[in-house]
Amino acid sequence: MAAIVLDKISRSFGSVLAVDAIDLAVEQGEFVTLLGPSGCGKTTTLRMVAGLERNTGGRISIHDEVVSDASANFFLAPEKRRLGMVFQSYAIWPHMTVFDNVAYPLRIRRRPDAEIAERVKATLRLVEMEQYADRPAPALSGGQQQRVAIARALVFEPRVLLLDEPLSNLDARLRTQMGDEFRALQKRLGITSLYVTHDQAEAMALSDRVVVMHGGHILQVGSPQDIYLRPQSRAVASFFGSPNFLDASVRDCRPAGDQSYVLDVEGKGWSGACRSSAPIAQGEPVSVMVRPENLRVATGAATSSELSLAGKVVDSVFRGAQRTVLLDTPAGPVNAEVSSLIDVKAGDAMSFASEPGAAWAIRA
Amino acid sequence: MTLAAGTVPEAVAQAGNAGGARARWWAGLSPGRNLAMLALVIFLSFLTLYPLAMLLYGSLHSTPPGMAGEFNLNGYASIMTARNLGVLLNTVGISMAKTVPALTLAVLLAWIVARTDTPFRAQLEVLITLPFFVPPILTAMAWGMLGNPQVGLINQVYKAITGASAPLINVYSYGGVVWHMVQYSTPFLFLFIVDLFRAMDPSLEESSRMCGATRWRTFRSITLMLMLPALTNSFILSFIRGIESFESPLFFGTPAGITVITTEIYNSINHRATPDYQYATALSFSVMGLMFLLVLMQWRILRGRSFTTVTGKGYQPNVMHLGAWRWVTFGFCVLFFFVTVVLPIGQLLIGSFFRFFGFYTYDMLTTEHYRSVFSNTEFWRGFRNTMLLGLIGATATMILGSLVAYISMRTTWRGRRLIDGIAWLPWMMPGMVLGIGFLWAFAMLPGYVPIYGTIWALLFAYMALGTPVSVRVMTGAYAQLSYDLEECSRVHGATFFQTLWRILVALAWPSFAIGWVLTFFGIMRELSASILLYSVGSEVLSVVLLKLWSNGQAEQVSVIGLMMVALVVVFRWAQLRFLNRRISAL
Ligand SMILES: Nc1ncnc2c1ncn2[C@@H]1O[C@H](COP(=O)(O)OP(=O)(O)OP(=O)(O)O)[C@@H](O)[C@H]1O
Ligand SMILES: [Mg+2]
Repeated sequence: MAAIVLDKISRSFGSVLAVDAIDLAVEQGEFVTLLGPSGCGKTTTLRMVAGLERNTGGRISIHDEVVSDASANFFLAPEKRRLGMVFQSYAIWPHMTVFDNVAYPLRIRRRPDAEIAERVKATLRLVEMEQYADRPAPALSGGQQQRVAIARALVFEPRVLLLDEPLSNLDARLRTQMGDEFRALQKRLGITSLYVTHDQAEAMALSDRVVVMHGGHILQVGSPQDIYLRPQSRAVASFFGSPNFLDASVRDCRPAGDQSYVLDVEGKGWSGACRSSAPIAQGEPVSVMVRPENLRVATGAATSSELSLAGKVVDSVFRGAQRTVLLDTPAGPVNAEVSSLIDVKAGDAMSFASEPGAAWAIRA
Repeated sequence: MTLAAGTVPEAVAQAGNAGGARARWWAGLSPGRNLAMLALVIFLSFLTLYPLAMLLYGSLHSTPPGMAGEFNLNGYASIMTARNLGVLLNTVGISMAKTVPALTLAVLLAWIVARTDTPFRAQLEVLITLPFFVPPILTAMAWGMLGNPQVGLINQVYKAITGASAPLINVYSYGGVVWHMVQYSTPFLFLFIVDLFRAMDPSLEESSRMCGATRWRTFRSITLMLMLPALTNSFILSFIRGIESFESPLFFGTPAGITVITTEIYNSINHRATPDYQYATALSFSVMGLMFLLVLMQWRILRGRSFTTVTGKGYQPNVMHLGAWRWVTFGFCVLFFFVTVVLPIGQLLIGSFFRFFGFYTYDMLTTEHYRSVFSNTEFWRGFRNTMLLGLIGATATMILGSLVAYISMRTTWRGRRLIDGIAWLPWMMPGMVLGIGFLWAFAMLPGYVPIYGTIWALLFAYMALGTPVSVRVMTGAYAQLSYDLEECSRVHGATFFQTLWRILVALAWPSFAIGWVLTFFGIMRELSASILLYSVGSEVLSVVLLKLWSNGQAEQVSVIGLMMVALVVVFRWAQLRFLNRRISAL
């Protein structure tokens, strides 16, 4: 049973189509992240699920219950959807204490005082904030406000948790820590979560599945590995880091045995093996993606199962943890990240190789 | 009137106001600084401390200003009467009775304008705030004509329609006083509250909805509660203004025998066989005590209770979709505008074209009132005086306010807190009280300083009354300009005065202009101090109006009133057209 089903939902603001007919199903207990550049419609999508924004087209169901159907002009108010939400600004009410903030959803539901006290305490313990219960909310640090916001969203045991860039106001160190803590908590409680971020690393680290969005459309849905290593388009590939794209044509194609295919490709001045998601006919043009960190310095002669490249070093930058080398090859400029122990200078000749699993062909 | 809040573009507002300590670098640069500070302190004290001190002096002095007498406590003894207890209760009761509905209306209107999809809300906002800028003496006179129990237009129409013989309304009553106050208090409060609604981070309310609260519950538990400190502040402010109010009780209370403190002071000087200055002064000084208590209470209540909900991010406020109801809210705003502006101004228009007020038949149409007003030398004198005082007074007040605000905000000079405090004092002085204080103050000046009875007397009084507003407007403006702008200019080789001119003045002038218009309006509407301080030759328009009204020349009053309204509309239009393009609010 899917916890959230988006069925061709759209939202237009005047003539701007912010979200364009999106389909998505989120399974019970799953952690799904909406990822994309600024303005691609992530927040709008999340707010439509929450009921804070009306979808102008399509249908939204939560736990098999339709909450919004544009064609039937049906719309369930946000307070009736029983969803928890964590806002980017935390939205901790400054006129209440931490306890009152967290107790609010229970008071709305008219729970007995004893139960409220007990559940608020338990939830605050969950986010390690129980000693702050009596603090006025403004006297909290960003990270603490974040925890209170999560506690408030969890305390009434919502069906689904929605989070809109909850970590973006924290500093880098705290962001990683809070992210990991939240993921652990989410797994423990098994609560379905729909999460919005524009930080790729965060999306990778936290999600079961990532939804890559662009211009109101979904480009690809898949596990973090899928999205990163096996993108379906150049747009998805270039959203993570700055991969190299090499034009090539297919010489041979055979199944690899794990639903992907091994291609033998040849480009201008290089050749080798790579993989693809679908069979591609001989002679077809493809674009081969190789990430800089997946290229290694080739010492001996290249094996036929690898992809190999050679060229002249144009630039070499020492970055501490690694060294970035810009190579001029017949196929165009190629970036590679090598060990910072390797000392190369501009003008040196170098060759690189890559495992077939790290080179990925996309139909050009 | 903290109307300056949020008047400078977001981008500038973001730039920090990071502590006055940074301005220290030029603290030692100007040699004549102490002298200049001293001059400023003396001038400010002359405007505020001196009349206040003379109030105390006068309240203990047995004879009118400028005459030999002895010192005693008779003044204070004479105000301790049961009748005055009634006057005090009237004052407090009326002010309370007008503040509650005015605040409710203001919250409702502000919510409609800021947070719903009511059609034409930008235009409605301009219309709703208009009554605040129309001098209350005009609407008072207009309502005197509209709601007159015998010949008032409303009652005439009511009688004609229903055939009843008893009037529908009588403005000469408690209700009339309160009603008139509500009309101009509401837009005043609206101006505060509408920005609160706008500035609120919408996610604070949205998170409440997500927690399961209905829209109405969210409004009660979150929106209103977040605004509570500011609403309390507005309440007390409006209450204080109600106690200071003069026009409404003068026009509607006095004829009905309802007396409040301001009219009691006025009557004891103008409507007794021999003016009782000691009584009036003792009463005035006691009012200052009352005001002081109220301000103290305001501080205590508000201490540390302000929820800064503004996050500085360009949030679009959360607009509620009302469906068909939006025409109801639209109608409500239009009704407010109709009742507070169209009705009274329409009455002035009608009144100005009929031979006698109250007799509206075709053969009574005439333009003779226009002719007699235009040939009335007293009118022209009043017009000239008001314009002159308005232009000079507003300019001088704003320059003074800019200086005080600059010194208290941007320097670490010794005495800056002092001048800030002195400049703020008239904030709690009703115009009537300040007028009495200046009466004594000018009369006690040596003979070679001839201020008493001249137009200068009015100028100083207006400057004193306007300074708190001008300081606040300019403080708001400077607070939103980053120090970096100033320092950057200095670093790039500009001198202190070049910096002041090029950067501060260039960036702060829109606020200056807004403050100028506000002060100008303030001068144009001022009645209570003017009525005490004018003399033949230095009448201002409001005084001319009151005299004509007392002589029963309501028709000529209508003509002059219309001209003043035209002036208000022109200024307001110019302000919205030319200034608000550069600044967001007001
Ligand atoms: N209330 C609105 N009125 C008009 N346009 C809007 C409104 N809200 C969003 N948009 C537009 O819809 C598009 C998607 O906005 P959305 O806030 O969903 O983006 P986002 O992916 O969350 O971006 P970010 O990462 O910057 O938060 C944008 O082009 C935005 O300008
Ligand atoms: Mg967003």
